[in-house]
Amino acid sequence: MLASLSIDSRPRHEAVLAGLLVAEIAVFALIGRNFLTAGNGWEVVRVSVEIGLLAIALTPVIVSGGIDLSVGSMMGLSAVALGMMSRQMPIGLAAVVTLGIGAAGGAVNALLVARLKIPPLIVTLGTYSLFRGLAEGLTGGVENFTNFPESFLYLGQGYLLGAIPAQLPIFLAAIAGYWILLHRTTHGRAIVAIGFSPEGAKYAGIPVEKRLGLVYVLAGAVSSLAAIIYVAHLGQAKADAGTSYELMAITAVVLGGTSIFGGRGTIHGTVLGLFAIAVLQNGMRLADLPSELAGILAGVLLVISILVSRRRSA
Amino acid sequence: MRSLWVACLIGLAACKPVESSKKFTVAMMPKNKGNPYFISCKKGAEEAARELGVEFIWDGPTDTDPAKQNEVVEAWITRGVDAIAVSVENKDGIATVLKKAKAKGIKVITWDADTQAEARDFFINQATAQGIGYSLMDNAARVMGGEGEFAIITASVTAANQNEWIQHVKARLAEKYPNIKLVADPFPSDDKQDVAFSRAQEILKVYPKVKLIMAVCSPGVPGAAEAVKQSERKDVKVMGLALPNACKKYIHDGVVDCIILWNTMDLGYLTVQASVAKIKSGDTSMPAGKLKTVEIRGSEIMLGAPFVFNKDNVDNFDF
Repeated sequence: MLASLSIDSRPRHEAVLAGLLVAEIAVFALIGRNFLTAGNGWEVVRVSVEIGLLAIALTPVIVSGGIDLSVGSMMGLSAVALGMMSRQMPIGLAAVVTLGIGAAGGAVNALLVARLKIPPLIVTLGTYSLFRGLAEGLTGGVENFTNFPESFLYLGQGYLLGAIPAQLPIFLAAIAGYWILLHRTTHGRAIVAIGFSPEGAKYAGIPVEKRLGLVYVLAGAVSSLAAIIYVAHLGQAKADAGTSYELMAITAVVLGGTSIFGGRGTIHGTVLGLFAIAVLQNGMRLADLPSELAGILAGVLLVISILVSRRRSA
Repeated sequence: MRSLWVACLIGLAACKPVESSKKFTVAMMPKNKGNPYFISCKKGAEEAARELGVEFIWDGPTDTDPAKQNEVVEAWITRGVDAIAVSVENKDGIATVLKKAKAKGIKVITWDADTQAEARDFFINQATAQGIGYSLMDNAARVMGGEGEFAIITASVTAANQNEWIQHVKARLAEKYPNIKLVADPFPSDDKQDVAFSRAQEILKVYPKVKLIMAVCSPGVPGAAEAVKQSERKDVKVMGLALPNACKKYIHDGVVDCIILWNTMDLGYLTVQASVAKIKSGDTSMPAGKLKTVEIRGSEIMLGAPFVFNKDNVDNFDF
């Protein structure tokens, strides 16, 4: 029982995925132009940060047996809120309040899922529409906030030491924080246990409500963080920010080996999954291949990696 | 076994031959790859690329993610292209990355929809409001034989684009056609085909002497055409600003005389021509292959007079 609770019970999936990633890199180094350059590597990292943050935040949610479809919409709402507040207050303060809005939105999900026991798919499908609707309502869907201060745009467009995307340290901190939370704390253990069996976890004395609630609140706050970086990256805040990002993030999580039924999954797996997709998209472009092929190949990658890891663990 | 395979690939990558293709590369992006309007532009662009012997890349978003255009441009900068031509979805959002491309010495062109002026070298302007307004009125006068009454169907009374076109229609009317009369203020149709249909029916009832209905929003032409067709009035014609596919059958039926828009294939053609041409700010014209000499106004390259789609040429277009 204890062994099966271990989150590293099927460590081979990450190895399979790492192999696929290396293969991808090798193929594109061969057929893409300027693919295997440091500059391109950093650009891949830069464009992956927003979806990456969502994927990292979704990992414990999915490990707990839940789902959060509202993260992309929360990005839209946060972007709009940030844009509006940036007109009235210093951008730093506006960013902090935006994170608060994200946490509050996450708390709505947490309340409905953890306290009222409504299925997360239904709850977050509702807030998916609600948050996006609010964002569109606040701006009429057309208002576009621009003219952010240079120092703020640096966060999304700048380089540290002349090469490293400025948003990378934030992303690394989020990865580290979530890794420790899920893999090195009792909270993380509790989330895995809940994913295996919510009833069992309850009778084992785990405060299911609190532990579940936390991951949804965090998911909301991290979505806002992703929105702040997105706005700094694009230099604009509009209600359509983060449209359909939730699906790409979920794809990265599942590709990373997290079981959609809960109870199994790792943060490092998600990061590998994320880059397997990001490298694919980037490589296709540099090889002058139509980008819609990237969608097809991402699907194929997903199926193959899961089939292979299933066979190994069987 | 797998690791062996991977090792082989890495080995192959290591001995990858250095690309020595010195061909000029033009990378062109639509707002949306699936839209038939842009597919039609692509046809012309490919023709120009063939004529000029340049390498041509066509890529862009397939979904509505506003960050996608930036990602594609970013990848093109990394890949190393000589010119980037974008139909801009987000005027402000894309400016930063286009400026970055410019800073790297890549020629940046916008077409169809513009970005901030300082973020690009030239904008291919497909049509001016005056060009559209004058062309609408001149063609209306031709259909009416220079005399009689006509009515206008518009999107809404506040629609900025439509109002600007109508203003030029009226100016042309006052200047050149004293025997033609506009019966009333433009009729709003909410930019909907069914509303335009009812408006046209009302016009036919209230103003029986109207010889022509001009619709200046794209759902307006097929909407009005259906009303005229059902009324079986052979003496009333419809024309206006619309997309060819929605109007083809009415054009062949003879209900719609012609529609005015720009030639999308020429727009694509000129975009690639301009991407390759050695032009700099201050130039007032450029040679553009089959389009001959094209006017440059400031940093805008003018496609020229709008294109008239009629029963002889409409089948060449599919959008």
